[in-house]
Amino acid sequence: MKRFDRIIIGAGLYGLYSALFCCQRGQNVLLLECDPTPFRRATYINQARVHQGYHYPRSISTAMKSAGYFERFNKDYAFCVNRGFDQIYATSSRYSWTDGRQFKDFCRAANIPCEELHPKRFFNEGMCDGAFLTREYTYDANILKNYFVEQLSKYQTNVEIKYGVNINRIEKSQDVYQIYTSDSEKYCTGFLLNATYAGTNQILDLLGYEKFGIKYELCEIILCEVNEKLKGIGFTVMDGPFFSIMPFGKTEYHSLTSVTFTPHMTCHDSIPRFTCQDRSGGSCSTFRLGNCNDCVAKPATAFPYMANLARKYMREEYGFEYRSSLFSMKPILMSSEIDDSRPTVIRTYSNNPTFISVLSGKINTVYDLDEVLGDG
Amino acid sequence: MANKEKNFTSAVIYVHNAQNYIEDFLRMIIDVMETNFEHSEIICVNDASDDNSYEIVKKISSVARATSVSIINMSYFHGLELAMNAGVDLSIGDFVFEFDHVDLECDRNVIMDIYYHALKGYDIVSASPTQKEKFTSKLFYGVFDKFTNMYGRMGTESFRVLSRRVINRISSMNKSVPYRKAVYSNCGLKTDNIKYEAKKSNHLISDRKEKNYRLGLAMDSLILFTDVGYRFSMLMTVVMMFVSIFMVVYSVVVYLTSHPVAGWTTTILFLSIALFGLFGVLTIIIKYLQLLVDLVFRRKHYNFESIEKLTK
Repeated sequence: MKRFDRIIIGAGLYGLYSALFCCQRGQNVLLLECDPTPFRRATYINQARVHQGYHYPRSISTAMKSAGYFERFNKDYAFCVNRGFDQIYATSSRYSWTDGRQFKDFCRAANIPCEELHPKRFFNEGMCDGAFLTREYTYDANILKNYFVEQLSKYQTNVEIKYGVNINRIEKSQDVYQIYTSDSEKYCTGFLLNATYAGTNQILDLLGYEKFGIKYELCEIILCEVNEKLKGIGFTVMDGPFFSIMPFGKTEYHSLTSVTFTPHMTCHDSIPRFTCQDRSGGSCSTFRLGNCNDCVAKPATAFPYMANLARKYMREEYGFEYRSSLFSMKPILMSSEIDDSRPTVIRTYSNNPTFISVLSGKINTVYDLDEVLGDG
Repeated sequence: MANKEKNFTSAVIYVHNAQNYIEDFLRMIIDVMETNFEHSEIICVNDASDDNSYEIVKKISSVARATSVSIINMSYFHGLELAMNAGVDLSIGDFVFEFDHVDLECDRNVIMDIYYHALKGYDIVSASPTQKEKFTSKLFYGVFDKFTNMYGRMGTESFRVLSRRVINRISSMNKSVPYRKAVYSNCGLKTDNIKYEAKKSNHLISDRKEKNYRLGLAMDSLILFTDVGYRFSMLMTVVMMFVSIFMVVYSVVVYLTSHPVAGWTTTILFLSIALFGLFGVLTIIIKYLQLLVDLVFRRKHYNFESIEKLTK
C-alpha cells in the first residue's frame, strides 16, 4: 500500500490548487480524478466570473469576501483573466429582489466600483430600472488548467496524478485513511481532502460522514457567437429570474445562462438521483456521478427559452447565435436560498488522520484552503 | 407534426379558486401549445386561491413534455388585472396569450385562429362569444365607449393574443395598467376581434371576492379612463346656470309685480347665484382632480410570494 502525505480527490481548481500548494511545501501528493483530464466539470463549465461581489446584492458577507480575493486572484492568475470588456449589471424593473437604487447602495457598502449608466442605452424601454458599469472579469479555464498542469509537472517526484480512476471504498484506520480504487490499487494517507464539488456527498457517503445540505441542479451553459456590438460587453440582469450573457474566458464566445432555464433538472436528495442516470449507459449513478457534459443522456438545449428571455431585455442591435452547450452538475447549499449567498464551506471531519471536505461555488475563494492545507 | 410554428409563444392563465375547471383547461392548453408550437411556455398566475387549484396545476404540469409550465403565487388576492400584469411581465414569448378565466366555452381551434389572425398584422386579437352580452356588461361598455376618446371599441372578451411589440409599447408608456383592455385598445397599434360560437352558457363568476373586485374595477375604470365625472359636473353646472338665470328673472319679476316679503328677493338672488358659483367651482375642481390622476397615477405594483418552474 502506497502512502502519501496528502491525498486529494477531484482535479478541479480546488484540487489542483491544493496539490500544487502541498507539493510546493515538499509534501508528496496523490491526486485522484475520475475524468480523463482535469477541469472537465464545474471549473470549466460555469459563467467563468472572477467575482467581486456584484452577484450577491443580498449577501454582503459573500460580496465582501469575493471582493477581498478579487485582487489577489487577478494578480496570481493574470494570464488567464479577460479584462477587455465592459461588464454591465442591470436590475430588472419587474420581479427583481433588488432595484437600481438598492444595488447602488449595496455597491457603496461593499466598497466595489459601480458607475451608473442609462438603462435605455442597452435595454428595451421599461425593462430595467438601473444599469451599472462594473469591474468584473472572466477567467479562461483552459489556460488556467495548462498553467496548473505545467506547474505540477515541475514537481514530478512529489506529485502523482491518477486520471480515470474511481474510488470504490474508503476506510479509516488508526492513523490513516485507506483508499481502494477501481484499478485495484490501495493508497493510504494521514490527510485526505475531498474537493469533488458535485460528488462531495457521494465521497462522504463512503465514510458515513454527515453530508452537506445541498440540492443538485443539472445546469446548461450555452456558448454563443455574438455580433460586433455585443463583443466587448457582458450583460448580467439581476436579481431574480433573469439572464446573463458575457465573454467566456478568453475564447471568442459568450456564455448565455438564465436563472430559470439553466437548471434543467433538480434533485433535493442528499445524493444525486436523476432519471437520466438510467439512460447514461452505466457512466453515472446515484453513488458515482458521471460527467454530464460527456453523457449520452444530456437534455436538449434550452436555448430557445434563454434566447427569448435575453431578447426580451436587450436592444435589438445586440445579436447572438447558438454555438454549443455545456452541461454540468451544480450542488447548491440549501442554507443559501434566502440570501442567495455562496459561502465557501470547509468542514473538517476528523483530525489525525485528517479528513476535510470543501464546497465552494466560486473560483476566487480558493485561497480559503490555505489555512487548512497549512496545518497538519 | 412537421411544421410547428417557430414563434416562441407564452400562455398566461389566471387561476383563482378554479379547481373545477383548471384540470381540463390546463390539459387542453398544454396540448394546444405542444402540438402547434416548437417552443412555448405556460404561466399560471395563482391569485391566492384557497382551494386545490395550486395542487391541481402542479399535478397536471407533469404531463408537459415540450412546453414549460410555471406558476406565480400571488401574496394575496390582487384581482384579475394586476395578477395578469404579473403573468405577462414574466412571460418571454414573441406572442402571449392571455386567458382571463379557465372555463373556456369555445372550441379549442379558436385559440389558433386568433394567433393566425395576429400573424396577418394585428398586434392584439381578442376572442369574444357571439351570444348577447349581459345587461351589466352592455351598460358598462356603453358608458365607457361614450365617455372615452379611445378609438377601439371594447366588449366582453374571453381571451386574446398580444404581440411582444404591444407589450413593449405598454411597458414603455410606464403608465398604470389598472385595466388592461382599456390600455390595449388605446396603445395605437392595430387590434381586431374574432367572434366565436359559444359552446355553453356565459362564463359565470361565482366567487364573491371576484364579483366585488369586478364591480370595483368597473367603477375605477370609468373614473380613470373616461371623463364621465367631469362631463356630469359640467352638465350639472350648465343646468344650474339655466336654473339660476330663471330664478333671477323670476325673482325680479315677482319683486316688480307683487311686492314680496322684505328680504325674499335678495335671498333668492343670493342663493341662485351662489349655487351656480358653487357648481362652477366644483366642476373646475373635478377637472383638476382628473388632471392630477392622469399625472400621478403610475403603474401599480403587485406582490408575489414565489415563482415556481414546475416542469423539467
